[in-house]
Amino acid sequence: MVLGNSLVGAGRQSSARFLRRMVLTASALVLTGVTLSGCNSMSASSAGVVRAVGAENEYANVISQIGGKYVDVSAIMSNPNTDPHSFEVSTSVAQSVASAQLIVQNGAGYDSFMEQLESATPSKSRDVLSVQSLLGLSNDPKNPHLWYKPTVMPLVARDVERDLIRLQPRRAKYFQRRLQTFDASMTSLDADISSFRAKFSGVKVATTEPVADYLLAALGLDNATPFRFQADVMNGIDPSPEDIAYQQGLFSHHRVKVFCYNSQVSSPVTSALLSLAEKSGVPVVALYETMPVPGYDYQSWMSAEISALTKAIEHKTSTVRI
Amino acid sequence: MHWIFEPGLFSNDSVRTALLLGAMVSVVSATVGVFTVLRGQSFAGHALTDVATAGGAAASLAAVSPLVGFIGGGIVGAGAMDAIGVQRVKGRDIATGVVLGAAMGLTALFLYLVTLQSATTGATQLILFGSVFTVAPSTLPEVAMLSVVVLVGLVLIRRPLLLSSISVELAAARGIRLRATGVAFMVMLAVAVGLSAIVIGSILSTALLIGPPASTLKVASRFMWAVSLACVLGVVATGLGIVLAYDSYYWFPSHRGLPVSFFVVSIVVIEFALASLVGRRKLARAVVVQHDPTKAPEQVGWV
Repeated sequence: MVLGNSLVGAGRQSSARFLRRMVLTASALVLTGVTLSGCNSMSASSAGVVRAVGAENEYANVISQIGGKYVDVSAIMSNPNTDPHSFEVSTSVAQSVASAQLIVQNGAGYDSFMEQLESATPSKSRDVLSVQSLLGLSNDPKNPHLWYKPTVMPLVARDVERDLIRLQPRRAKYFQRRLQTFDASMTSLDADISSFRAKFSGVKVATTEPVADYLLAALGLDNATPFRFQADVMNGIDPSPEDIAYQQGLFSHHRVKVFCYNSQVSSPVTSALLSLAEKSGVPVVALYETMPVPGYDYQSWMSAEISALTKAIEHKTSTVRI
Repeated sequence: MHWIFEPGLFSNDSVRTALLLGAMVSVVSATVGVFTVLRGQSFAGHALTDVATAGGAAASLAAVSPLVGFIGGGIVGAGAMDAIGVQRVKGRDIATGVVLGAAMGLTALFLYLVTLQSATTGATQLILFGSVFTVAPSTLPEVAMLSVVVLVGLVLIRRPLLLSSISVELAAARGIRLRATGVAFMVMLAVAVGLSAIVIGSILSTALLIGPPASTLKVASRFMWAVSLACVLGVVATGLGIVLAYDSYYWFPSHRGLPVSFFVVSIVVIEFALASLVGRRKLARAVVVQHDPTKAPEQVGWV
């Protein structure tokens, strides 16, 4: 209303006075906005909601599985149609990192922009949980896709629970109960992995990129694609013609039973291999860098991948989209 | 010979496509390049590669073939440079520089948008530095057709183009339509740049465009001889570059091959260095024989 009045009165006032009034109004509005948003965040944390960030949406999902209604989680990388390896930071990402109380990030060079953002907005009250350091890995593990290790998420969940209890001691019981539920569902995933392994151990598969290599290894599958080729695809450089020819041979000579295709890291090379695999009758299973949303949580995502692999080996059925 | 032709070289599909592509593109680039160097438009040629880069990035964003983007971008750039006056010698560098800067800005925008909305990996690598081993064999007919179009076009406008390249005043006096000739040439230049962009990347395509002709003009004294030698030097650079890139897989125990573009550009530079050595001797001899300091020896007998 103040703004409306000053606009109506503008014609009759001297321009200098009008300008001054506009500036005052604008600053008042800005100040009100700042105070209001300050109130918001303060009331949010006093009501017991922890602001948390998962650098990748699979970690955000685990945070919300443990924190339930007492966390407000945002995920930074969650678009299943883009390549997280070529992610670039926007200001809204910087803002959510700056205001977060709990952050889970992968580390291992996969999301190094997180460390930059965190050091740009230092905060004593922020807990940063890096999965790489949680596992005690070197600075440069060859394969950064740590969330595909079936042993990783229970460790992450345990640490998230510990941090949440520290931030919200009154909700300790609640977080503990949810951690138990999470662990129970992970046990059934482990059982799926063991039975898969018992049936299909040693089956040869081809891959484009190392995204699910940890899971494939846990499942007992034999990845016939040289790591050099996978790393080249991951890093967006051209694999050598020798490696491309070798990979083509895996399909044309039917040396593999399944082609595990990372649908978030594609290039002319991977697309050409995809059509060759289809032509050679090798079933394709789509893999993802980030959790496909909506409709999945971490556990159901992993079991969907495992059942897609099972269908591919048993019935030669492709799953081009899980 | 075994150390040059490593096992599987000629049975490898990627290598075969790359060699055919490289040969065609080198011939077109070298032929267009001779005129480019003669017209003193090397910088315009380089700016066109930058506009082609923006086109390639846009193509990646629109998920169409990079070749379409490279050539489309180049032609738009040629139009822009003509519109702001690249034909005039005075102020030409400024017009070219403005277009170049704007194009790189657009490239940055498009490549950023690509990361936001597609799972395409390595678009930057493919567009800037080329991925000749990953070009689909189905691209070959398109490249062959475009090569023929450019070469036939050059043959058709060869006389007015050459005359206006060597002396604008003479060409104007003979009634040659300078602007029409210049625009037609810029379009051919754009297509040539687009073609070489798929072999060694858009940023490096200047090397293939300018390198072999520049070497040739140091040693050749007749026009057809200059064009033929430039084609040979270009084909040698790409062919040998591709073979060496293939071989480099066996050079290191890690089996990490080196990029084709690196080898092609290195060979182009070596050719230029050798041509400069030969050319200096030849120039000295020519001056002694002619005893005519008003005529540059290279220009004798060209028009």
